Amino acid sequence: MRLSARLGLGLASVLLCAAIVGGWHLATRFGLVSRAFLPSPERTWLALWRGLTEGDLRRQVLATVERMLLGWVLASLVGIVLGSLIGSSRRARAWIGPSLEFLRPLPASALIPIGIAFFGLSQSMVLAVICFGTLWPMLLATIQGFAALDPQLRDVGRMLGFGRLDTVWKFALPNALPDILAGMRLGLTVALILSVVGEMLAGQQGLGLSILLAARAFRSPDLFAGVILLGAIGYATNLVLAQVELRVLRWRS
Amino acid sequence: MSAAVIPLQKAGGKPEPLIAFRRVDLDLGGRPILRGIDLEIARGEFVCVVGPSGCGKTTLLRLLGGLLAPTGGEVSYAGGPVAGPSANVAIVFQDYGKALLPWRNVAGNVSLALEAAGVPRGEREARIAPLLRKVGLDAHAERFPGQLSGGMQQRVQIARCLAQEPTLLLMDEPFGALDAMTRQALQDEVLRIVQASRMTVLFVTHDLEEAIYLGDRVIALRPHPGRVAATFEVDLARPREQLATREAPQFLRLRRALYDFIESAER
Ligand SMILES: Nc1ncnc2c1ncn2[C@@H]1O[C@H](COP(=O)(O)OP(=O)(O)OP(=O)(O)O)[C@@H](O)[C@H]1O
Ligand SMILES: [Mg+2]
Repeated sequence: MRLSARLGLGLASVLLCAAIVGGWHLATRFGLVSRAFLPSPERTWLALWRGLTEGDLRRQVLATVERMLLGWVLASLVGIVLGSLIGSSRRARAWIGPSLEFLRPLPASALIPIGIAFFGLSQSMVLAVICFGTLWPMLLATIQGFAALDPQLRDVGRMLGFGRLDTVWKFALPNALPDILAGMRLGLTVALILSVVGEMLAGQQGLGLSILLAARAFRSPDLFAGVILLGAIGYATNLVLAQVELRVLRWRS
Repeated sequence: MSAAVIPLQKAGGKPEPLIAFRRVDLDLGGRPILRGIDLEIARGEFVCVVGPSGCGKTTLLRLLGGLLAPTGGEVSYAGGPVAGPSANVAIVFQDYGKALLPWRNVAGNVSLALEAAGVPRGEREARIAPLLRKVGLDAHAERFPGQLSGGMQQRVQIARCLAQEPTLLLMDEPFGALDAMTRQALQDEVLRIVQASRMTVLFVTHDLEEAIYLGDRVIALRPHPGRVAATFEVDLARPREQLATREAPQFLRLRRALYDFIESAER
């Protein structure tokens, strides 16, 4: 019953995908939308295939993925360490919390002009913006996870005579792990978005730039190929993280 | 009570109590919670504490565990003041659902106490297995707390406390949330384990019959603020048996006295 339900759902999603591509095909076939804006799926596929095998699309993908992962890993490290420090002390939370709440809702893209002012239109500017924007979900999730440690578990630790470091390592960090992983998943999406926007603005190699150039030159198949690749990157990384989460949080099921 | 326990002798010749509360007062948030607690517990004694909800039973336990410091008076353990949590004292907490690490399996939760005691990694497994056997969980070592019944979770907590090899075991309404059958089984298990390891036990409960069944002595608290209202000596033979003990005339007499007392105290 459960297996058949899952198979049914899987089939339904494949059908939905097929329907979208089919609709897309029909829309271009009967000229509902100008070819200049919407290429046919076949031409998009061709552009994608050529770009990956003959052109430099593969390099662009790698550049973007590398940028995204680097920014994300850096932000994760900083976010988790900083979040642990702030989250494990009530005084630190009361002290720093309001400033965080002020900074948090700022859209990361609004920071790009500030990043440009500091770093110029450079590689490091893009990385700094990715890091900064990606930091928040991780930082707040870690703080939240640390703060939510049940007082009774804290007492269990005290009765056993654990010191501060052991309490963090054996109690607070595992307790915060579900929140941290959720934050990391959210952060990866933010990192992808900021990589693309950063590349577009700073003219750095990557999918963002190649999409921008394709749009300017009215090469709509290339433009769509780039967008599809972005979607695929987001989908694949999310899938990997979901698997990691499932394994690490095995105790929850 | 186990006759093999040899109490430490003081100069005066009177056995020194393991635990002594001397005129202990405690305020929390400016409110008096406990007032003038005077209490002595000998080594190897099994003492039960009863009293209405909110009268300060948990607070009393936390004072003994070193999780709270008295506002006035002194709590002493083995002759010295209680300055903080000690490895010799273990607490089985009231809310078992929140006293286990949900991300560690049964063996991992018991291992926590061994890690705290600095037992090397290689020796832990050999010490966990007999403990789990003792509480009847050897078949479930790999399960996570979320996959266990309430009674099993409470057994894990007990096993973790035993891993600490404490001198004093504090139990805070450990069976309050369990069904009658599980509760009786665990009562007997605890009695058996305590007897074998000669621990001193302070056992908090709501259930007057449970208190009589388990204890050498039952202490009744009175609320607002919490004070010791009366002490009942339990002169029932050990080992105790669910049916025979509960039908014994002394049991029934004690039960009567305790119920009458609680009723008059509430009026
Ligand atoms: N941290 C605290 N700050 C202020 N008051 C507290 C605190 N903890 C407990 N109290 C108060 O102390 C009193 C005794 O609480 P305690 O938990 O010891 O009662 P109890 O006898 O264990 O009750 P129960 O049977 O419901 O577990 C209660 O009135 C409670 O409201
Ligand atoms: Mg209580």
